[in-house]
Amino acid sequence: MPYTELNLDLTEEHRLIKREVHDFAVEVLRPASLELDKMSPEDVTRKGSPYWQCMAQAYRNNYHTVLISDEYGGLGLDPLGVHIFWEELSYGSVGFAVSLGCSCFSSFYATLLCDDYLIEKFVLPFVNCKDASVMSCWGITEPAHGSDNLMTGTPFFRDPCACQEVRAVKKRGKWVLNGQKSAWVSNGPIASDAALFVNLDPGMGFAGGGIALVDLNQKGISRGKPLNKMGQRELPQGEIFFDDAVCPDEHMIIDPESYEAITELTLGHANATMGAYFTGVAQAAYDMAMEYSRDRVQGGKPLCQHQMVQSRLFDMFIAIETARAFSRSAMVFNMNTTPPLVQYSIASKVYCTEAAFKVTSEAVQLFGGHGLTKDAPVEKLFRDARAGMIEDGSNDSLSLAAGEMLLREVQ
Amino acid sequence: MPVFESTEKMYDVLGTLFNVLASDPVVGPKYRESNIVIKFTITDPDGFIWLDRDAKVICGPADLKPTIEMTLSGDTCHQFWLQSISMPVALAKGRIKAKGPLPKVIKLLPLLKPAYAAYPGIAKKHGLPV
Ligand SMILES: Cc1cc2nc3c(=O)[nH]c(=O)nc-3n(C[C@H](O)[C@H](O)[C@H](O)COP(=O)(O)OP(=O)(O)OC[C@H]3O[C@@H](n4cnc5c(N)ncnc54)[C@H](O)[C@@H]3O)c2cc1C
Repeated sequence: MPYTELNLDLTEEHRLIKREVHDFAVEVLRPASLELDKMSPEDVTRKGSPYWQCMAQAYRNNYHTVLISDEYGGLGLDPLGVHIFWEELSYGSVGFAVSLGCSCFSSFYATLLCDDYLIEKFVLPFVNCKDASVMSCWGITEPAHGSDNLMTGTPFFRDPCACQEVRAVKKRGKWVLNGQKSAWVSNGPIASDAALFVNLDPGMGFAGGGIALVDLNQKGISRGKPLNKMGQRELPQGEIFFDDAVCPDEHMIIDPESYEAITELTLGHANATMGAYFTGVAQAAYDMAMEYSRDRVQGGKPLCQHQMVQSRLFDMFIAIETARAFSRSAMVFNMNTTPPLVQYSIASKVYCTEAAFKVTSEAVQLFGGHGLTKDAPVEKLFRDARAGMIEDGSNDSLSLAAGEMLLREVQ
Repeated sequence: MPVFESTEKMYDVLGTLFNVLASDPVVGPKYRESNIVIKFTITDPDGFIWLDRDAKVICGPADLKPTIEMTLSGDTCHQFWLQSISMPVALAKGRIKAKGPLPKVIKLLPLLKPAYAAYPGIAKKHGLPV
């Protein structure tokens, strides 16, 4: 049974997208993600795998363009529509939702810059792609720099003691790239281009960064083995190595003058999206637990007839409703406010991923021993939710950055 | 000393610019089709410039509900139309603050292009530094 919609102002378009994406997530993405979960990372990324079949289907539905304006042929959903879209997609598979979210990274930046050349080069081929062969990724994390990269606004970010290790140096009018991004880059093993966060001026620390839109199918770029990991196994992740790779000057879209501000803006939108993703994961676990508790008989009656189980379900319900209400507000506010108030996006990400972890864990508990087996999908949701507390910034270091933001606001 | 010495001067320069934009054969109809109201709240000198749903330019207070509201200083406005500061950078750094759905802001960006070409000439005619 679908959850009760508390927003009385949903438009017909919102209802339609909710229904349509929900059905796609349940009928197509969830079964495929369960199958992919059991496969090796190499088999997941292999051409023709269920991953590619689902992504192609999502592209044919135009789902890759959710953040691209209808001016360029994208879905152009409004902020609440965007939240509903990501929550429903994640209800079926958060790994696929993350893969689709990252696929538009370069195009999204290009539409922000509204430069004719970049629109032609990145946005139009992406929007017109129907087989998922045009796909971007967000290359920011490095083997030696995870949380460091996201501590915008803190004094550390401007301290020359550390900076990104992928360096871009200008030679004969082009940028030459060297270094390595970590195995955590979502879509890393398969993406055709990257929004690559590089260092241009080590003397400025992380703030001396730049963002380059880089063609990944060129000499000088190689990929690591797809990452074998605990959760979101349907999401391909892997290292990218740069060995004198090149990028035209026009593709270096952000320089140190605005790197910190744009990184913060990116984090603001990415973390707000994480809030939506993990509300969907929590809702999926709750629905499975509710269904199981009505079927499974113990102590002479269905589990759900035991008061303790009802209380557990009610706690899960509160966590999900709170996550939905807050993450919707944070996303709608920040997609209507530029520059965004990033502390709200971080709060949404931290709250919703922790709520999803708690709810999926409770769901496993409610399933009893069966919840620990590979036959019960809640076990996968639990692993997926655990990854969420590290993904897009670990919750503890994001909280440190957000704490600084709160102080900045009152100073 | 701000680039626009008075609100009247700002209305004169930016009013001319927005009228160029609104009467552009491509931008005008496209803007009207988008059915939005834009409000620029400008500081130093203080003032308001509106583009209503019919692409009519209004300088000064108006009793309309904006779809998108941009708040920026007169100097940032001047730099923006001279393209010495880009919209995303100005937005990210808070030099322009936008209230209104990001997808609508993004959709608006291509419509501004004819104004970039027209502005240096208009500014020069009004004796502003270009
Ligand atoms: C599923 C998933 C998808 C991802 N997708 C992408 C992607 O698309 N692109 C990309 O570039 N990266 C991606 N990442 C990487 C992710 O952003 C990083 O894993 C994250 O930023 C944490 O970095 P780290 O793993 O290096 O941990 P570290 O930074 O090494 O942190 C380890 C621990 O130390 C704590 N810690 C770190 N610094 C401090 C401090 N200053 N004070 C106190 N405690 C601290 C952290 O909170 C954490 O608990 C993804 C990660 C996951 C799990």
